[in-house]
Amino acid sequence: MVNLLLAMAAVSVAVPPADDAFFEAKIRPVFAEVCARCHGPQKASGGLRLDSRAALLKGGENGPVIVPGKPKESPLLKMVRRVEGVSPMPPDRPLAASAVKDLERWIESGAPWPLTTTPIRAARHWAFEPVQDPKPPTIPGVALANPVDAFILAKLRARGITPVGPSDRRTLLRRVTFDLTGLPPTPKEMESFLNDRSPDAYARVVDRLLASRQYGEKWGRLWLDVVRYADTAGETADYPVPEAWRYRNYVIDAFNADRPYDQFLREQLAGDLLAARLPADAPAERYAELITATGYLAIARRFGFNITQDHYLTIEDTIDTLGKSILGLTLACARCHDHKYDPISTRDYYALYGIFESTRYPFSGCEHTKVPRDNVPLVAPAALQRRRDAFQAQIAAAQKALTALEAQLQGRANQAQIALASGEIPNGGKQAFDAGRGAAALRAVKVRKGEMLRLTILPKANQGADTTLLEVQITEQGGKGRAWNLTRDVLPDFYQNGNGFQHDDSQGHRAVWHFWDAAGTPRLLTEFVKDAERVPGLLVWRGAEATPSVLVNTNPRPVRFLTVKQPARSFAAHPGPRGGVTVAWQSPLDGTVAVTGRVEDSDPTGGDGIAWTLTAGPGLGAELAATANALRTLNRARRQLEDFNRSVPQAYAVAEGKPHHARLHKRGDPESLGEEVPRRWLELLGGQAISKDAGSGRLDLAHWITDPKNPLTARVLVNRVWQGHFGKGLVHTPNDFGTRGEPPTHPELLDWLAHRFVASGWSLKKLHRLILLSDTYQRSSTIEDARLKVDPNNLLWWHFERRRLEAEEIRDALLAVSGDLDTTPGEGHPFPETRFWQFTQHTPFNAVYEHQRRSVYLMTQRIKRHPFLALFDGPDPNASTGHRHTTTVPTQALFFLNDPFTHARAESLARRLLALPDDASRLNQACLLLYGRPAQPGEQVATRKFLESYATALPSGSADDRRRTAWSAWVRVLFSTNEFIYLD
Amino acid sequence: MISLSSALPLRRAFLRSALAGTMLLPALVSELLAEDAARSSNDPLAPRPPHFKARAKQVIFLFMSGGVSHVDSFDPKPKLLADHGKQVKLDHPETRNRPGYEKLFLKRPQWEFRRHGKCGTEVSTLFPHVAECVDDLAVIRSLHADHSNHYNATLGMHTGSFNQARPSIGAWTSYGLGTINRNLPSFMVIAPFSPYAGGQVWASDFLPGSHQGTLVVPGAEPMRNVRPRTPLPQQRRELEALAELNQLHLETRPGSAELEARIRSFETAYGMQAAAPEAFDLSKESDRTLALYGLPRGSTRGFAWQCLVARRLVERGVRFVELIDSGSSNNWDAHGDMISQHAPLAKNVDQPIAGLLKDLKQRGLLEQTLVVWTSEFGRTPFNNSADAKGREHHPWAFSSWLAGAGVRGGIVHGATDEYGIRVAHEGVHVHDFHATILHLLGLDHTRLTYRHSGRDYRLTDVAGRVVQGVLA
Repeated sequence: MVNLLLAMAAVSVAVPPADDAFFEAKIRPVFAEVCARCHGPQKASGGLRLDSRAALLKGGENGPVIVPGKPKESPLLKMVRRVEGVSPMPPDRPLAASAVKDLERWIESGAPWPLTTTPIRAARHWAFEPVQDPKPPTIPGVALANPVDAFILAKLRARGITPVGPSDRRTLLRRVTFDLTGLPPTPKEMESFLNDRSPDAYARVVDRLLASRQYGEKWGRLWLDVVRYADTAGETADYPVPEAWRYRNYVIDAFNADRPYDQFLREQLAGDLLAARLPADAPAERYAELITATGYLAIARRFGFNITQDHYLTIEDTIDTLGKSILGLTLACARCHDHKYDPISTRDYYALYGIFESTRYPFSGCEHTKVPRDNVPLVAPAALQRRRDAFQAQIAAAQKALTALEAQLQGRANQAQIALASGEIPNGGKQAFDAGRGAAALRAVKVRKGEMLRLTILPKANQGADTTLLEVQITEQGGKGRAWNLTRDVLPDFYQNGNGFQHDDSQGHRAVWHFWDAAGTPRLLTEFVKDAERVPGLLVWRGAEATPSVLVNTNPRPVRFLTVKQPARSFAAHPGPRGGVTVAWQSPLDGTVAVTGRVEDSDPTGGDGIAWTLTAGPGLGAELAATANALRTLNRARRQLEDFNRSVPQAYAVAEGKPHHARLHKRGDPESLGEEVPRRWLELLGGQAISKDAGSGRLDLAHWITDPKNPLTARVLVNRVWQGHFGKGLVHTPNDFGTRGEPPTHPELLDWLAHRFVASGWSLKKLHRLILLSDTYQRSSTIEDARLKVDPNNLLWWHFERRRLEAEEIRDALLAVSGDLDTTPGEGHPFPETRFWQFTQHTPFNAVYEHQRRSVYLMTQRIKRHPFLALFDGPDPNASTGHRHTTTVPTQALFFLNDPFTHARAESLARRLLALPDDASRLNQACLLLYGRPAQPGEQVATRKFLESYATALPSGSADDRRRTAWSAWVRVLFSTNEFIYLD
Repeated sequence: MISLSSALPLRRAFLRSALAGTMLLPALVSELLAEDAARSSNDPLAPRPPHFKARAKQVIFLFMSGGVSHVDSFDPKPKLLADHGKQVKLDHPETRNRPGYEKLFLKRPQWEFRRHGKCGTEVSTLFPHVAECVDDLAVIRSLHADHSNHYNATLGMHTGSFNQARPSIGAWTSYGLGTINRNLPSFMVIAPFSPYAGGQVWASDFLPGSHQGTLVVPGAEPMRNVRPRTPLPQQRRELEALAELNQLHLETRPGSAELEARIRSFETAYGMQAAAPEAFDLSKESDRTLALYGLPRGSTRGFAWQCLVARRLVERGVRFVELIDSGSSNNWDAHGDMISQHAPLAKNVDQPIAGLLKDLKQRGLLEQTLVVWTSEFGRTPFNNSADAKGREHHPWAFSSWLAGAGVRGGIVHGATDEYGIRVAHEGVHVHDFHATILHLLGLDHTRLTYRHSGRDYRLTDVAGRVVQGVLA
């Protein structure tokens, strides 16, 4: 109805003259300023261009957009009128009603396009224009040392505002100390600053703070906000990333080292590629640092139950963060369609996508595949290989020695054995040797010194439950009539000689008894296990595997373990999976011996019994020992390599993948692939193609991004630093410099700073200094009404903006003033070991690790936020945080009233204060610590009043206890004050 | 030394705490506190008018974690019963390329359906008590979601985003309408265990932190730091002294709204210490009320406790209350055995939900409160064998219901095909579901936006249509 009326009204209006003036005055501005950005030569959203009559008549994917002379039938008009069923255009805000009318009149009159007119070009967006080097304005009658003030003052003058005066020195020191270090100034620092009346006292304070390690812990956090740092992966089970901290510390260290910002960026985007180009004599730390830097990419969020499947989302997260953190562009908007507002096409997106798809990301582990992999060693491959080669050479040498000895041993072992006796027992059976076959031979066996008698226990068809009790006695016939009893000889040996593998007898002969694995070349059972199967006094000798083994119960009573029952002070043997176990006696005498004894199945739960043989033959003691020692040497060498491999520190970092161009995902759907898009830089910023043999192209990307001609990189960073000091930036949308962002309040100042920043070698510390030494920064935060009316939001910086401390500053300040702060840098977190990781979306990883280090070192999870940081508006661990909110909610007050953390800090500070002589000096000290100023008389009165009434009201306790309790309460009150939590 | 201006707000706080526990409390305190809020223009929780006349002022969002089977609860499928064991061919996200799932067979419902109420809506014997309330329910049988993974589907049902973290529907509501009670947060979540996707489910994300859900865990201290750590008289001394010091500080910094707001937050916190435990204290509830919910006196366990506390929170002006019945394990995710897994969970929630609906109704609260019941997805009407006892995840079609303020009771909206596999008509996407909830709150989902990194974000992204059929 309304439309109809409008249409009728239009008809009744006289057809406008088809004059060029109307077009130039009314129509061109609409196309040029509103439409051309998305519908022009740079970008033709929906296939539609609106920069010529022909283009309008041709239209886009949905056909022509105008029907000359028929506004009612022209889709263009429907779109600008935002009628139901068509896409409203322009998408962000409606066209002015007058402009709609003009368009209608123009179409009505046949949409005449002047024959001679300049081509329609999109209005140029300030942020995409080159950075200028404006001259600081001169202010008549004012000599300004710092050009920052000139830019600020010029605008203030123009609006007729006089800025407020400088803040007092105490306020200034507190402000700048928190600003640069995130901590309050100590009373000593305050005193020395107040006593230093030299003109450069403040400048030197700024230098001191910039040089402190705390600077990186505060300003590194700004970068960690922007890159959405977290210690977990963020997929459905939120797997821990134990190595993430190295990147966190890299950022802190880089800020402290004043790493030039362009280099800082190149390292984060392509540190691995820069590391590969390091000269051979570069320090090892430098290599490690460059690898670690790529954590910037590696910490991208993981998605889904199987993160490999959803990797395209991780790349989207990378591109999104790259855009926001470095360029101030919302690139990810172009994943599914050309960017609605900025000149960024889907092809731009997939040109970058290809670079990251050609990059190998570390695998954090996830519900589907729980074991992490692809972390990057922090030792250069060549150095790593050299070390590994050395270990490999050792292993090879040991292997060679062992092989030779084994051959020797085998040769000797193969020499003829004389069978003495043999037998077998069924499951649960027993048999004395003299009941076996050929038992008569056992009564008189001739032996020479060094020859061996062997008792071998063999499994039958089925190996298992074959634990066999052995009793063996060898008695000299004639001569001294000496006797060797296996159990008696070996039992004490187990206590005394647990680590040897040849066993003495009880008469002073060395290496008499031997136990070996009888499958193949004999191998001594060299591994000693004390208290096996958790049975105290059950001692076991075994080889590399659990069986074959011999077991000795040293207890004066039977023991039970598994399904075995072993009698008191007894000896048992268990064959192995591939063959028997041998117990051998190497004769210390020349003469004749008798062999007696028996075998008994001590595990009757299953199996099919065992067979036994008694044989005599040449002694193997020396060869066995030599072989065992060689095996030990080999194993030691292998272990050294394993230990080395484990000891090589690794970073959660990226590496090169298989270089290729990505194919476009139609409408962002990774299953619906479109044409291939060659890897290249954003058209908007030059559109360069990757160089030949660029690999993934990340190094090219790093150079494009840090090209001084790139209009965004320096501007975006300078704005972040300004915001860090003033609470808001010159551009109020720090992560969005696109057309939907806010324009700068002081474009010349922004450019001047950006230009200076690049010219200074991208030095952040110089930039801080420039800003902090300005009068603008040092102004008072006290505000007065008259000026408030002109500039209520302080857009022109006529005063300093009071701010609440940030989450980390609150916690760190509480720790610092209470004396509880652990100032050592944090490293990794006490995550459970990787081999225990079983996290699923049903039971995701979830932990809070408390410590008293600075808050930047707190473990931050992605799917569950740290409770303290979440409460005080800490950064979002899931997305780039360019600006933190400051909210004031009662649950924060509850933290000050009731949280154990606040109470513990208050008790610590109270204890410190109570060491001072009286309440007046205690309060004074508290005020110095918390507020950076001495106590005022009124506060002394209030304190006395409070302490008295509080202590008296306490129900019980000694006078000391009451005093301590009252002081703790008073400290909590001081903690809770606005003066502590706000920065003037 | 203490000035009048500082003493006054504190007295208000005490007045509030003194009021706590009387029957007059909710209304009176809301009024007091809304007044507080209105005083501060930069207060993100200040009450904001809706876009148009709201049907509902508050929401109770009942979330069943793990995926409730629609064909066993609110979507009767006689044909599924009849064709049990028949093979079906489908390209389903949960069975695609899954070894052992090459062939799929229909699996009959495990519970019997009966008509209930005047409207005759069919509900299964899984929910006998809720079935008594069907005349108040608008059952939606055509809901569908974008993802078959718990984590993503749970995130989607809460934030409209199935992959990226975004603000929760409760946070959006708080942002859109502000609070009506300063003694309690505007958005509260009662959950015995952590759900899928963890705290992202109630996060404010890019919205100001004051809109994030405050977690209440049934037990001794349901809310963090709400129990005074010092005796109240002592704490009052502390707060008086604090007010005094803050006042001195404020006098030299006049007109600072944020300093004043923080001073007020301590008064509110003081009140909250009384108001929150009072809201969780069920000792003054009558035996009849407890019986209605099936809650034994003194118990703080189970969904009955959650439901009764939800009613009390709504009475006290909490804008959005979410109840999560279980967590990311031991929930409705019945892959193994429908009967042994669904039956006890249904028993935990059935009578309490019915009790809540009846209780809200008899107190006149149902006229201003929207009750939403949902899960992240349904369960497959088929499995890899007809004998399989469980069902898999099924986002293609599932059931939810709305009740209360502005909702047309006693109706069924939308339908699935003969087996409950796909939506047959009047499909309701999660975005549509959200748009409808916001609509009932007087909010136009296309206008409830927040500018974040260059884009105006919405709960409903770029989609969503209000489901007119469920509106009264």
